[in-house]
Amino acid sequence: MPRAIVEVRDLHKSFTRGSETIDVLQGLTLDVGEGEFLALMGPSGSGKTTLLNLIAGLDRPTAGTISVGENVISDMSESELARWRTRHVGFVFQFYYLLPVLTAYENVELPLLLLPLTKEQRRKQVETALDLVGLTNRMDHRPGQLSGGQQQRVGIARAMVTDPTLIVADEPTGDLDTKSADEILRLMEILRAQLNKTIIMVTHDPKAAARAQRILHLEKGQLVLDTAAVGV
Amino acid sequence: MYGIPQEMGPVGFDPSIFLLSGYLLGMLVGLISLALVVGLVTLPLFFFVLFLIEQVSRVVAGTTGAFVSKLVLIMFRGLRRSPLRTSLTYLALFVLTTVLVFLYTILTFIGNVTAEKEANFKAIVTHKTVIPSQIKPGYYNQFKDLVLNGLPPDMRPVNGENDIMSWSFVGGSTDPINKRPDNALFMFCMEPQKITTMMDGLDDLTGDEKRIIDDGIEKMLANKQAIVVSQSRLKKLNVRVGQKIKLYGLNYPDMIFEFEIVGSLPDGKYEGVGFMNKDYLDQLLKTMPADYLMQDKALNLIWVRLPNKMAFERLSAMVDDPKNFNSPPIKMETASSGIGSWMEAYKDIFFGMKYILTPAMVGIMCLVIANAISIGVRERRTEMAVLKVLGFQPRHVMALVLGEAVLVGLLAGGMAAFLSWFGIGNLKMQIAFFGAFIVPWQALVYGPALGVGVAFLGSLGPALSAKNVRVAEVFARVA
Ligand SMILES: Nc1ncnc2c1ncn2[C@@H]1O[C@H](COP(=O)(O)OP(=O)(O)O)[C@@H](O)[C@H]1O
Ligand SMILES: [Mg+2]
Repeated sequence: MPRAIVEVRDLHKSFTRGSETIDVLQGLTLDVGEGEFLALMGPSGSGKTTLLNLIAGLDRPTAGTISVGENVISDMSESELARWRTRHVGFVFQFYYLLPVLTAYENVELPLLLLPLTKEQRRKQVETALDLVGLTNRMDHRPGQLSGGQQQRVGIARAMVTDPTLIVADEPTGDLDTKSADEILRLMEILRAQLNKTIIMVTHDPKAAARAQRILHLEKGQLVLDTAAVGV
Repeated sequence: MYGIPQEMGPVGFDPSIFLLSGYLLGMLVGLISLALVVGLVTLPLFFFVLFLIEQVSRVVAGTTGAFVSKLVLIMFRGLRRSPLRTSLTYLALFVLTTVLVFLYTILTFIGNVTAEKEANFKAIVTHKTVIPSQIKPGYYNQFKDLVLNGLPPDMRPVNGENDIMSWSFVGGSTDPINKRPDNALFMFCMEPQKITTMMDGLDDLTGDEKRIIDDGIEKMLANKQAIVVSQSRLKKLNVRVGQKIKLYGLNYPDMIFEFEIVGSLPDGKYEGVGFMNKDYLDQLLKTMPADYLMQDKALNLIWVRLPNKMAFERLSAMVDDPKNFNSPPIKMETASSGIGSWMEAYKDIFFGMKYILTPAMVGIMCLVIANAISIGVRERRTEMAVLKVLGFQPRHVMALVLGEAVLVGLLAGGMAAFLSWFGIGNLKMQIAFFGAFIVPWQALVYGPALGVGVAFLGSLGPALSAKNVRVAEVFARVA
C-alpha cells in the first residue's frame, strides 16, 4: 500500500441522547493510502457516516487521533477545521445538497469563493470541473432543472473544484438509478486514476463497493472485515 | 373662542378621555387596515425594487467577483425563493413602520404645538377674567410702548411694530330692523398691513393669491372704509367686489358703517368673514358720545410675536403688573398655553402611546419577524450545513440570515416612511391654526432605521441558531 494519507488511531466517538450514551465508534484504527479508492460498508446505524464526518473534519472525536496529510485534524478548532475543509476535502452527499437558488456554475464556484483567487482563476477551475463531469452545457441551469444524476455530477464537480487531497462520499449513488449510479462511479474512478485523488465512499450497494480498491466493513463500532477488492 | 378648547370642568373628572381613547383606538385600527391595503398594493413595487437591487448586485458580483457581493446575491435569491414568507415579512414591517411613523408624527405635532416654535412665538393679550375679552382701545398703544421700549432690546420683537397687532370683532347687518344671520357680516378689525404679517394662513401666500390680497390691503390703506371679504360671504350677502354696503352694528349698537368692498380673500381662508381697517372704527367711536357703551370695550385682543420664551415671561410679568394695567386687568398667554393645559389632561394617553404602545408594537413585530425567519432557517438548515461543510464560517451563515431580514426591513421601512411622508405631505391637512399636519422629514430616516432595527432584532435569534447548526448532526441520521 502507498504511503498513508489518512491515519486514524484508536478512534472513539460517543453521543449522549438524554441520559443514554451511545458508543458509536469504539477504538477504530485505519489507514488510507494516497490515491486509494476505499469503500465503507455496514448495516444502517453502524457509524459509517459518523466515521466519514470525523475523517472529513465535520465533527470531533471523543478520543483518538485523526491525521490527514500533514494535519492532525483531531486537534483543530472549529474555524480551523472550516478553513482546512475548504482546501483539503471535497464532499459528495447522497441527496446532492446543491443550493437551489444558485446555478450549476455558481454551485461549483461556491467553495472557491473562500480561497484567494481572481475571478478568472475561479472561472477556469469551475469550467474544468464541469467539463470533467460533462455538464459544460448545463452550467446556467438551476438544480431544479437538472436530473438526479446530473445534480450528483454537479455535486462531484463542486467536491473536486478546489483540488482537495481527499474526497468523501456518503452513499453518493443511494438515490440514483443504475445508469446514473454507474456514471457517478465511473467519475470516481477517473478522479482516482487520472487526478490521483484519495476517495472514501460509504455505500450499501455491493456492486458499487466492488468498484473500489478496498472494502471495509463496519459493525458495532469496529472494523470487522478488510477485503482487498477485486475490481479496478 | 379662538380655537382653543375650553378648560376642564370643575369636577376634575373628564369623561371625554374615554371618548378620545375610543377615537384613538378606532384610528389605530383604521390606520392598520389602511397600511395593510397600501402594503398589499405596493407589494409588486417592493419585489420590483428587490429585483432591481439584485440586478445591481449581480453586475457588481459579476465584474468584481467580490465575496460580499456574492453573499448578497445569495440573500436576494433566498428572498425570491419563498415569495409568500417574504411578502408577509414585508407587510408586517410595512404596517408597523406606517403606524409608528404616524405616532411619531402626531407626537411631534403635539410637541410643536405645545412647545411653540421659538422663532414664531405668538402671544395673545386678553381681559384677565371676562370672556369674551373686551378691553380699552387705549391699551393697544400703552402695550406697544411697553413692548417696544419697556422690554430689554434683545427681547423686543424682531420686526418691531409690525409684530404687534390689535384685534377687534365687528359685526353688522345689512338690514337695520331685521338683523338675521344671513344678512350679517363679521369682520376682524385691525391695521390692514398686518393682515399679511400676523394672520396665520395669509402670511405665506404666493402667486395670484398673494397679488390679490396685497392689492386689497393697498386699497384699505388708501381708504379707511375699504374692506375685503371672503367670497362665500359675498355670495351669501349677494354683493360683489366694487360695491358699497351699509352695515348696522350688532355688537356696536347705533353705529352705522359705510363700507366699500375692494377685494376678496383666497378660497378656504377665513371663510365667512372679512377684514376692516382699525382707523375707521376709531373714527366712528370719536363721533359717538363719550359714554357710548363700547368706548372702553372696543379692543378684544392684542397679538404679539416675541423672539423667545424669556421675552414672553418678562413681558407677561409686566402685563400682570397692576401698575401697568389695572382697569381692567389683563393677561398674556401663548397660543399654546391653552392647548398645553388641554394636553395635560390627556397626557396619560400620550404617555401610553409613546412608552407602551410603541414598544409593544415593536416587540410584537420582532416576534412576528423572528417566527417568519426561524421557519425559513429551519427549512434551510441543510443548506446552512452544506455551506459550513464547504468551509463557510459560522459568521457567514449568520450574515446570510440577518442580511435577508435586514434587506426586507430596509425596504419595507423605507417605503412605508416615504409613502406616509409623501401622501400626507400632499394632503396639506390644516389643523386649527397650528399649521399643516405633515410627516416630519426625519421620518424618512427613522422609518428605514426602524425597519432595519426590528428586522435585525427579530432575526437575531434564528440567525444565531443558524450559525450554531451542528453540521454532523444535520447529516448523521439522514443517510
Ligand atoms: N449527532 C448525533 N447525536 C446522537 N446520536 C447520533 C448522532 N449522530 C449519529 N448518531 C447515532 O449514531 C449511530 C450511527 O449513526 P450513523 O453514523 O449515521 O450510521 P450510518 O451512517 O452507518 O447509518 C446511530 O445510532 C445514530 O442514531
Ligand atoms: Mg449514514
